[in-house]
Amino acid sequence: MKRIVLFVIACACVAAVAALARPTAASASWCWPSCSSYGYLGQWTSTHTGCWFSAGEVCSYYDSWFNLGMAKTCYPGCDWNFNTTGIVLYGFENHDRIRGRFSGRGAVTLYVRPDELSMGGLLRAQVTWYAGTNQINAAAIG
Amino acid sequence: MSGRIRVAIALLVLGVAAIAGVLVTRGDASRDTAALSNRGGPPIAIHGLRMKLATIRTGTVLARRNGRVFYRLRTVGGDPCFGVGFATNVGSPGSVVCQRGFPRSGSPVLDLSVYEGTRHDATEFSLFRAEGFAADGVAAVQFFRQNGEVALSVPVSGNVYSAASVPKGPIAGYAAVDKDGKRIWRSP
Repeated sequence: MKRIVLFVIACACVAAVAALARPTAASASWCWPSCSSYGYLGQWTSTHTGCWFSAGEVCSYYDSWFNLGMAKTCYPGCDWNFNTTGIVLYGFENHDRIRGRFSGRGAVTLYVRPDELSMGGLLRAQVTWYAGTNQINAAAIG
Repeated sequence: MSGRIRVAIALLVLGVAAIAGVLVTRGDASRDTAALSNRGGPPIAIHGLRMKLATIRTGTVLARRNGRVFYRLRTVGGDPCFGVGFATNVGSPGSVVCQRGFPRSGSPVLDLSVYEGTRHDATEFSLFRAEGFAADGVAAVQFFRQNGEVALSVPVSGNVYSAASVPKGPIAGYAAVDKDGKRIWRSP
């Protein structure tokens, strides 16, 4: 029993050290659906984290973000001009407003900084459904 | 496999190849002449981008309008990109789009306008800033309301458009018009 207690205490100490070694807010990051996969953003998609729109939007937690990046695939297909059926608004939001740019392209990579949208301070990075089917990966870094 | 079947398969393959050749040489793929004649200034160093999927080191400035800079960029991998940013920090675009398919006759406008929403109950967005890139032959970009009324018309010069101010109210889409005012393309 004594050995087990010592083992548990040792594990707790290791966990505490590991937690202190984690990146600070200066290197914050957020990804959707993960940092290495694509997800489908539709009319009813939600991260259930209090985004500007209760459905049809994925958003990060509040932070001082450096930029938001988004990659959108051709799913379910691109035309000759690389247009897809899906359109999204990507950018940032706070308690007062949501701002961003629209994109209906596939096989596209986009980046935007908050100051580009004349926004600053604590913000949520967001990608909002506007039309069609969208297969995206979104990530924000602080 | 009999000789007849082999000959039939060979003819089928040749037929498909011939049709594909006609489509490529006579179709839109080879006839599309959309272009940006504005080549911009000399290459400049691009900095301040922390873009994992698109490493960009140099670019050219296509234009400066209304305190904004319009960049033509290329990733180290050769993919075409476009960017915009504030003129107070030239060489550091605040927004970058890397995509193929622009410019094309079926895609003559790359709109980088900023839209804003203030309602939670409706996906209505108004213009916060109007700007972007347009192919040769596009004389202006029109932003229109839900009822089709033109809310803003921004002239294109040097393949770039930029409005000094924008009207209030929801915008439903935008369109490209030629020098005669004829609408030659509209957004989805």
